[in-house]
Amino acid sequence: MSRLYDTIEPAVIDEEILQTAVEEQGPKEEAGKIAQDEGIDFSDVTSLRLDYKNILKIDNLWCFTSLVKLQLDNNIIEKIEGLDTLVNLIWLDLSFNNIEVIEGLTKLVKLEDLTLYNNRIQKIENLDTLKELHVFSIGNNDIKELDNVTYLRRFKKLQTLNISGNPISEHEDYKIFVVAHLPMLEYLDYRLVDKTSKQAAYEKYEIAILELQHDEKQAEKKAEEDLTKKKENDRHMNAYVEGLSGPYLFESMYAEDAEGHKLKMIPGVDELLLCTYKEKFTEICEQIFEYGLAKHDERMVEKDTFLECLNDAKNENKALAAEKIEDFLDYKKKLWADLNQISDQKMLEMSIAEYNQRTTALWEMLMMFEMQLVDQLEDAIKDFERNMSDMVSAFVETVQGYFTQCRDLENQHHERLVELSIITLEKVVKNEMDEEIPDDVRELFVDKDTIINAVSSSHDVHLLKIDNREDELITRINGWMTDFIEETHQKEEISRNRARVTEINNLIDHLRDELDNLDLQTAPY
Amino acid sequence: MAEDTEQTPEEQKPPSIPETGDAQDETKSVESARNEESQHGEGSEGGGTDEFGAIQENGDELSEDAAALKEELDKIKVEPPQIQDPSEIFDPAEFPESYKENLPKENLVLAFAENFRRQYVHLYRDRKPLFLNPVNECGVEKFVCTTIRPTLLPYKILYDWDGAADFVSDYLNFTPLDPAHELPKRLLSASTVLKRQKGNCFEYSTVLCSFLIGAGYDAYVISGYANKETCLMDETREICPLLKKKEEKKVEEKKKEQKKYTVKPPKDLQSRFEQKMAQRTTKAAEDEAERLKREEEERQAVLEKPPPDPLHGLRVHSWVIVLSGKREVPESFFIEPLTGNAHPITSDNYLGIESLWNNQNYWVNMQDCSEGVKKMNYDLDDCTLWEFMFPSDDKPKLLLPEDELDDFEDDEEDDEKEDERTKKIIDIPPSWIEPIDIKPRDFQMRCPQGKKAKLYKHAKLEKFAHYLMKDGLVCRLSMYEDKELTDLKQIKEYYSNRVDKLKERVHNHRTGWIVEFYKPGRHRCLKEHHYKASGPGPESERRMVFYDEARVDGLQMREEMPTEMTEHFVNRDDFLYYRHVQFGKRPKKFGPAEVQSPRPIIKMVEKYHHNEKKPANEDIAEIVFSVAEERIHVIYHTEDDKISSCTREFLKPGNTEEKGATIVWDPENHTTFQVDMHSKDKKKVEIYEMMCKLIDAENNCRDRTRQSEEEVQAILNDRVREESTSELEISVYDTERNEKAKKHRAELERLQAEEKKRRQEMELDYLAPFLAQVGDPEKITPKLAYKLKEDCLSDLKQRLIDKANLIQARFEKETQELQKKQAWYQQNQVSMQKDDEEEYLNYCSEAMFRIHILELRLNRHKEMAPHKYMELEKKIRSDPRLAEFF
Repeated sequence: MSRLYDTIEPAVIDEEILQTAVEEQGPKEEAGKIAQDEGIDFSDVTSLRLDYKNILKIDNLWCFTSLVKLQLDNNIIEKIEGLDTLVNLIWLDLSFNNIEVIEGLTKLVKLEDLTLYNNRIQKIENLDTLKELHVFSIGNNDIKELDNVTYLRRFKKLQTLNISGNPISEHEDYKIFVVAHLPMLEYLDYRLVDKTSKQAAYEKYEIAILELQHDEKQAEKKAEEDLTKKKENDRHMNAYVEGLSGPYLFESMYAEDAEGHKLKMIPGVDELLLCTYKEKFTEICEQIFEYGLAKHDERMVEKDTFLECLNDAKNENKALAAEKIEDFLDYKKKLWADLNQISDQKMLEMSIAEYNQRTTALWEMLMMFEMQLVDQLEDAIKDFERNMSDMVSAFVETVQGYFTQCRDLENQHHERLVELSIITLEKVVKNEMDEEIPDDVRELFVDKDTIINAVSSSHDVHLLKIDNREDELITRINGWMTDFIEETHQKEEISRNRARVTEINNLIDHLRDELDNLDLQTAPY
Repeated sequence: MAEDTEQTPEEQKPPSIPETGDAQDETKSVESARNEESQHGEGSEGGGTDEFGAIQENGDELSEDAAALKEELDKIKVEPPQIQDPSEIFDPAEFPESYKENLPKENLVLAFAENFRRQYVHLYRDRKPLFLNPVNECGVEKFVCTTIRPTLLPYKILYDWDGAADFVSDYLNFTPLDPAHELPKRLLSASTVLKRQKGNCFEYSTVLCSFLIGAGYDAYVISGYANKETCLMDETREICPLLKKKEEKKVEEKKKEQKKYTVKPPKDLQSRFEQKMAQRTTKAAEDEAERLKREEEERQAVLEKPPPDPLHGLRVHSWVIVLSGKREVPESFFIEPLTGNAHPITSDNYLGIESLWNNQNYWVNMQDCSEGVKKMNYDLDDCTLWEFMFPSDDKPKLLLPEDELDDFEDDEEDDEKEDERTKKIIDIPPSWIEPIDIKPRDFQMRCPQGKKAKLYKHAKLEKFAHYLMKDGLVCRLSMYEDKELTDLKQIKEYYSNRVDKLKERVHNHRTGWIVEFYKPGRHRCLKEHHYKASGPGPESERRMVFYDEARVDGLQMREEMPTEMTEHFVNRDDFLYYRHVQFGKRPKKFGPAEVQSPRPIIKMVEKYHHNEKKPANEDIAEIVFSVAEERIHVIYHTEDDKISSCTREFLKPGNTEEKGATIVWDPENHTTFQVDMHSKDKKKVEIYEMMCKLIDAENNCRDRTRQSEEEVQAILNDRVREESTSELEISVYDTERNEKAKKHRAELERLQAEEKKRRQEMELDYLAPFLAQVGDPEKITPKLAYKLKEDCLSDLKQRLIDKANLIQARFEKETQELQKKQAWYQQNQVSMQKDDEEEYLNYCSEAMFRIHILELRLNRHKEMAPHKYMELEKKIRSDPRLAEFF
């Protein structure tokens, strides 16, 4: 082999190779002739074989997007690359190459059969996304660690595995180990795995496998939990009340408030005010949260009923129209049969006239249905729009009420804080301060202005935070509503209507054309 | 007849004869047709006396001579022989004692009943006598309650009331009461009735009641009055129960919900007024039709109404009532034992109740029955409504609690009182009748001789026992258009145990259609076969329904017309659900046509369901192969948001029929309509391949059609063959009918017998070897006998000694080994490992055990050997061959 490489120049996948391969492997005989006349688009090719071409680098395959089967065996490829666009691949053969690392396959999620036989791979890796893998051949490689086998546990559909000819196959327990760790296997190294050997293997490695299973289950559980958490979070996001289920808003108020932290140090502030203040504030936040979720659900139910009704109306309309068309086609079939019988020119003309008339009648009928539907949908959409905007504005008002409560709380808190600070200032001035105050806080108590400034700047920050949150909520919900209504208008009314009208016209034109074509045939009579 | 009357002078005044004849007819018309038969003997007798009476009446007008002649003739008296039905006489010898005599207890009960009757007659003079003490087979009076013997036979269907009632009505043949307005004199025991398989209504009720009480129902025999039809088991005005349609539960249609955003319906532009007017006219027409229909129905009802019955309300009848409470019976109801049907207790058929009883007590009805039984109350505890005969223990309210207390207190004093009480509460003696038993064979036959026919309104029902008819027929229901059962409308036949799984055949004589229903399990999974009686062959009008779940091709139904065939499929992987083929006429062929050529196909249509995985406008919905026109028309499915479907049409290139020829492509051959104008046109290659595929599909479809035709032919052939053999299946568990199993069993028995015989022969002949030594002489001389004996005994002796020696040898060997081991142990004891030591100890105990056993065996052998020796000696002495010498 190696001598072969020396003598022959490594090739590159270029237009010519591809073209010849496609033509060779494309349709044969008559179909081939037609195809040649017409030319074959690379994007239509489903199967491609590029073996024994001495290819060094995978390249220029990006346009074969509908490729299902690709054979690149018996080349001198060193790196798996350039396959990212071939997402429809099910069958990939890279055997007898010089690949050292498994990579560049993550996009091929539909892959079911992967062959990497006779390469120089040392580690099985980077295959996590290939959930559909059925057959995997990695024989005659350089895999040394048995741990590589456990990696394959994640492929639940794996049925056939070839891993012979690797250093690990020399291991005395190799076979039992593989069978035990991959219970879903049906064929291992060209042989059927029978039940008894599975059982025996399992018994041997029971503890290790149980441990593995336990770990996997834990991981699964965690992933599930994450997923549910994420879902929950998404739901909150969609209800525009994320972060309102606890003291997060309150904490964020203080997060960017340097003065606030200092002011906390003033004796009496922390214990008395902050605790009760925080509690009350959080309570209101939670109220907003609950209310938001409830209203969100209501809105979704409303939206679903609306869409359902729209679909019902459309289906009903479609059934009506389809029935009319069906009737017409029946009539047409009969007429066609009759036309072949009629020899009288007058009768023929009459029939044709009737046909034309009926075609027009069909057009009118279909258009009428369409207009009816448009009217109906418009009404429904208007109704929905009105109801939804009522719902949204009611929601916004209530939420605004809650936020006003928040602001009131903040104001109260601010007043108390001012009082406390003045008292403390007096104490400091008179040096009657009992407790120790950190230096940076003490700096605030230089004079009245400083302390008042600090307190009010903290207050401002807090108010700003509350306002921002409120604004965000309101903007988002209004945005959603207008978007949805707009989209519905666009999709249901305008696009749908246009498509339908085009379709009707197209159909009527076709029906008329058909008569014309038929006339040509019958004219000689 | 007229000539005869002229010759004989006494018959000169026959004007009276027709009169008497009329009178006779009248009396006859009262009875039913059945009655007529049984009464025939008596009727003729009555006619005879009437004749004489008429002669006497007209005697005044006769001349002297004639009078003398008459006198002379009067002396000649004819006594018509009394024909007694032999089946009505019973030989007392056949019956056990209990039938011929009464136990003291029974006598007591009878006396009690007599007392009751006397009081009753005294109190209610105008009421009819009660049915209390009829005589039995042997002419002995028996109290009716003791005639009921609760029995539960080991047949499953007798456990439920409907099964039991059906069985009794089927199993017995009905004899009407004679005369119809009087209670029967005799009540036969249930076992006799079942043996004879016939009885009157009282016997029917008694048998049925025995079964029902045995099965745990609260059932009673009723003696009362019913209308003529019920009394005579005349069901010709009833609709056959098999024809009664079960009321289908209507699935309530879910009302379409009016949702919040449901679109408003388009404006209705029709005139309300016009609608109203149209409605009015249609309503008037409907009313008219309704009226006509009603009138017609009334007319029909009048026609069918039975003629007035002069004995209405007097006809005595007996039936069964099942009261609610036991066996989860929710409501009381009547069972008519003659037909086995249940009737509500408000039934019109029953006109009055005189009394009712079960195996424990007898109640007399005290309620007014002038308006039938509709308003009757069946609370038997209420003594104002029901007069009981025996105060029973079950109803403690009849006993005052003080009485019981008294009993306790003055137990000894009140012997008299005690007596009185026992008198008061007489327990009914056990039933006198023999245990009721039905043999499995008779039970299977069900009806007398296994056949029974019943007449219903416009229908005749014939029942047959299983395996009675060669073709497995068990039931035949013929439906007629008219009352006289002459105009046959339809025949339904039910089969069972047929090898060909046929279970029902309906022959409609009006339309000529025959429908056959099959049970699952047939070859080719046939379920129903509809065909015309006139055209049983292939290529005629027919319909076959299949068990589609059992068929690989999912075929559900195949309909055929002379030139058409339609097939319906379900659950196919290729989504095909419909195939329609139109055939043309066979081209006329000259010369001998041995094999009929298949009919030419003109057109084939295949329809497919939508495959969700494919885009709708590329998923074929319908293919029309116009074979004659060489065209293939394809219609695709409609997309969700579209109303029209894409189509394609191919003109087949000319050379497709040639084998191996490449199909030439010509763009002119293809036309298409695409719903979406902007969709990309298909490539020519794709269209070309599509065409090739369609041509393949056409060939395929043609092959399938031919296969279907063949299958039809095969099924029809099968049917003809099956019909001609009409084999019946016999269960392997049916030991009586299964010939094969019987044979097998007989074979087994034979083998067993042989085996036994052989074993007997094999029994050791201890003399045989010695006889063989001397060459099996014919005759044994004393000397030889002596020698034989000696040899035989010495041989045994030798064997016994050998055995003892053998045991001894083994014993010694074991002992030696043990000693060796012991020696070895003692030598190496010091350097011994613990394991080895243990091993040694184990060995020792085992060896000791073996030695012990050997010792025991030797001792026992020693003990037994002399006995054995003696035994053999004795045997030889008594051996038939040698006995004479010793």
